[in-house]
Amino acid sequence: MKRFRRQFFPGLFALLIAAAATLVLHAHFRRTLPNEALLTGWILLAATLALAFYNARKRLPFLPLGNSETWLQVHIYLGFFTVLLFLIHLNFRLPHGWFEITLAWLFALVSGSGGVGLILSRVLPRRLATRGGEVIYEKIPALSHALKSEAENVAVGAEAKSPAIAEFYARRLARFFSTPQNTWLHLVESRHPLNALISGLDDLRRTGSDAERAMLEKLAALVRQKDGLDYHRSLQLTLKLWLFVHIPLTYGLLIFTALHIILVFGFSGGAR
Amino acid sequence: MPAAPTILERPQRWDAAFGPEMTNAEVERLLAMAPFRDMEADQFPKRTPLREILRHDARLLRFRKGEIIVRQGDYGTSAFLILNGAARVVLKPDLPPTLLGRRKPGKKGLWPTLAQLWNGVRPPESFSPEQLRQSAELGARLDEKDVRVFLQDLPCVLDRHRTVQMTAGDFFGEIAALSRMPRTSTIFADSDEAELLEIRWQGLRDLMKNDDALRAHINKIYRERALASYLRATPIFQRLDEAQLERVAEAVEFATFGDYDWSGDYKRLAQSGAVRPEKEPAVVAEGDYPNGMVLLRAGFARVSQKTRGGERTLNYLGAGQIFGLNEIAHNWRNPNVPVNFQYSLRAIGYTHLLVVPTRVMEEIVLPSLPRGELPPPVEATEPFDLAPSETAVRENVGAEVLEFITENRFFNGTAAMVIDLDRCTRCDDCVRACASTHDNNPRFLRHGPAVGRLMIANACMHCADPVCMIGCPTGAIHRESFAGQVVINPATCIGCKSCANNCPYDAIRMVEVRDERGELMVDPEAKPITKATKCDLCVENYGGPACQRACPHGALTRMNMNNLDALTRWLKK
Repeated sequence: MKRFRRQFFPGLFALLIAAAATLVLHAHFRRTLPNEALLTGWILLAATLALAFYNARKRLPFLPLGNSETWLQVHIYLGFFTVLLFLIHLNFRLPHGWFEITLAWLFALVSGSGGVGLILSRVLPRRLATRGGEVIYEKIPALSHALKSEAENVAVGAEAKSPAIAEFYARRLARFFSTPQNTWLHLVESRHPLNALISGLDDLRRTGSDAERAMLEKLAALVRQKDGLDYHRSLQLTLKLWLFVHIPLTYGLLIFTALHIILVFGFSGGAR
Repeated sequence: MPAAPTILERPQRWDAAFGPEMTNAEVERLLAMAPFRDMEADQFPKRTPLREILRHDARLLRFRKGEIIVRQGDYGTSAFLILNGAARVVLKPDLPPTLLGRRKPGKKGLWPTLAQLWNGVRPPESFSPEQLRQSAELGARLDEKDVRVFLQDLPCVLDRHRTVQMTAGDFFGEIAALSRMPRTSTIFADSDEAELLEIRWQGLRDLMKNDDALRAHINKIYRERALASYLRATPIFQRLDEAQLERVAEAVEFATFGDYDWSGDYKRLAQSGAVRPEKEPAVVAEGDYPNGMVLLRAGFARVSQKTRGGERTLNYLGAGQIFGLNEIAHNWRNPNVPVNFQYSLRAIGYTHLLVVPTRVMEEIVLPSLPRGELPPPVEATEPFDLAPSETAVRENVGAEVLEFITENRFFNGTAAMVIDLDRCTRCDDCVRACASTHDNNPRFLRHGPAVGRLMIANACMHCADPVCMIGCPTGAIHRESFAGQVVINPATCIGCKSCANNCPYDAIRMVEVRDERGELMVDPEAKPITKATKCDLCVENYGGPACQRACPHGALTRMNMNNLDALTRWLKK
C-alpha cells in the first residue's frame, strides 16, 4: 500500500490538477475560440500519437530514449488525460453517425483495454510470486509433457499393478495431464478442481495397499505440480493476451483517426 | 534397508599437479638453483616438503621472444621466477588494448547504432569475417599444448613504449597472485628460449610460510608497492600523516584464507547442498579477544553469530570493508569493561585480508578519528557498523534473503540482474531488448534462483572477483576498464571454454558461430568454431543496459550486490 501511495498519489494529483485546469480553460475560452473543435481535435491527435509512440520506443531499445518505466508512467497518466480530451472534443455529447460511433467505440475499447491491462499488471505478478514455482511460459508445454509421462509411468506403467489407480487415471487424470486445465478458474483463484482431484486420490488411499499408497502420494505430488504449471500458464497468458487486444485496436484507432481527419477536411473544409 | 554409502578416496591436495610433466631431474635442477638452494628443506613440514611443493605446485614454461607472459589487468593465480633468459615489463602507459587481445573500448558510432534497426534479422550468432579478424599487430601460435600470443612487431613496441628488462633470478606476479588483484603490468619474453618457473598460489603460500627470506622479500615488496597506496585510500586512515601511515603499514599483518580455486569447489558443494557457514575457515571466532581490526583487501567474508542450531548469517563483507573496529574502539574508551569479538568472521571462497594490530589502532588510528566517527559502545548490542548497511539489511531485506545471497555467492556481483517478481509481468521486454541490442542474440536467461519476490536471473554479474578471467590464454575475456565490465573479444576468443568452466554461476555460454548467410563457420579440419558469449552490460551502447531500460514496470535492475542498502531501497520503491 505504501508503494501504491508513493507511486500513485503524485501522478493522480498532477492528473487532477491538469484535468481541472483544462476544464477551466475550456469553459473560459470555448466561446471566444474561432474553431474550438479543430483545436481540441489536433490536441487529441497529438496526445494519441504520443501514447502510440510508446510501442515504437519498445522496438528501439538500443537508442537512448529513456527508461521504459518512465514512458509507461507517462503513457498511463496521459492515457487518462486523453479520455478527458476526447470528451471535450465530443463536447460531452454522444457521437452520431456510424463512422463517429465506430471511432468512439475504438477509443473506448483502447482506453478500456489499457485500464484492464494496468490492473492486470499490478495484480497478477504478485499472485504469481506468492504461488511460487516460477517458470518460463515457453517451457510450460515441455514441463507439462514431462509430468504427464511421469504420471503415466506411475499409474499405468509396467511397474504399476493397480486396476483402481489405472481406472482413476484414465477417468480423471489423463485429460488433466494432457492439456492445460482450468484457465478461467485459476484467474479467479479457485482451488476447487485441484481439491477435487486430491480428494479423489485420498479416497483411493484409504482403501489402498501400502504400494498403492506410495503410488498415490507420487500422483498427488504430480497433480499439484501440474496444477501449479496450469496456474502459471493461465496468469502469464492473461498478462500477454491483453496486449494482443490493446495494440491491434490502437492501430485500428489510428487508421480511423486518419480517415476522420481526411473526412473533416475533405467534406467540411475543417471542423466548424 | 538404508542404501550403502558411496565410498570414494578422500581428495588430497596434490591429486592434480600444476605441471604434471615435472620430472625428478627438473626438481633436482631447481633445488640446485637460487632461491631454492638457499632454502632450508628441513624447515618445511613433512606434509609439504620443499621438493614436493616444486614438483606439484610449479611448472616450467618456455617462451620465445615477444610472447606475452602476463597481461596488465588479467587475474592471475601464480607467480613467475625467471630461470634463464630475460623478460621485459612494460611501464606506464601500458600497451593498447588491441595489442593485448582486447576490444577497443568505446561506444558504437551513430551508424552501427542505427543499423541495429535491421540487424535483428541476421541469423543468430553470425559474424562478418571483419568482426573476427585479429589485430595485425598480434599473433598466436600453439606451443606444445598452450596457446601463446606474441607481439608481431616487437621493435616497434620497444620503440614506442618504456620497458625494463628482468633477468634470471627475478620474481614477478607474486602480489597479484597473493592478493588476487589484477596484474599491474604486461610482461613479455625478451629472449628466445626464456625459461620461467610458474608457481601456483598454494605453493607460493607454503614457500613463504616456511622460508624466512622469501617471506621477508615478498612482504617488503608488498608493503612498498601495494600497501601504502591502499591504506592511503582507506577512509579510516585518511586523517593520518605520512609518518603515521608508514608506522601502520609496517605493523600491518596480512593473511589469506580459503581456497583460490573456490569457484570449482563452490559449484560442486552447491550441487551437493553442502555449502554451510560452519565449514568455512574462521578468520575471527566469536568470543575471541579483539587483537586487531580486519580489513578485507580481496574476496569476501561472512559475519555470523552462534545460534542454538549452528550459525546464522548477519552480513557479508567485501573488499574495503572492516571488521572489529567496534570492539577495539569500545575497549579503548572503556578499558574497565572490555568486550570480545561479538561475531565470527569466516572466509567465503578466497579471502585476502589485512590485520591492523589493536596496539597500533589504539596508539595511532583511533586518536586520529573525531569523536563523532567512533562507533557507539558495544553494549548497545545492535549491530552497528560491521558494514554500513547491516541494520538496514536486517530490518528490510530480511534474514532469508541475506542467507540466499550469501549461500549462492551473489554478493560477488557488481551488476547482478535482480528481478522483483511482485512487479515483473513476465512480458520478456528485457529479453527482446537484449536481443535487439546484440544482433538478435539474447545474452541472458530470464530465470534463475529465487527467494520470495526476489530472483537473480542467469546473466553475467560482472563479478568483483571474476574467476572467469583466470586462465584465458589469449586475454579475450577482460575488464573494459579497471574494475569495469567484464567483456569478451570474439576476435581473440579461441573457444577453449576456460571462462565458461570457471564461472560458478553458469553465466557464460559457448556458441557455434555462423557467417552472415547463417552457415556454420568451421576450421580447416571442419570442426565448428565456438566462441564464448555472455552479457556485456551493453557496454558499447548509449544509455546503459538495455534490459534494465526496457522494463516497463521497474521490475528489473542491475545491482551491485555488495550494496544492500541499494537493494533495500529498490525493493521498497
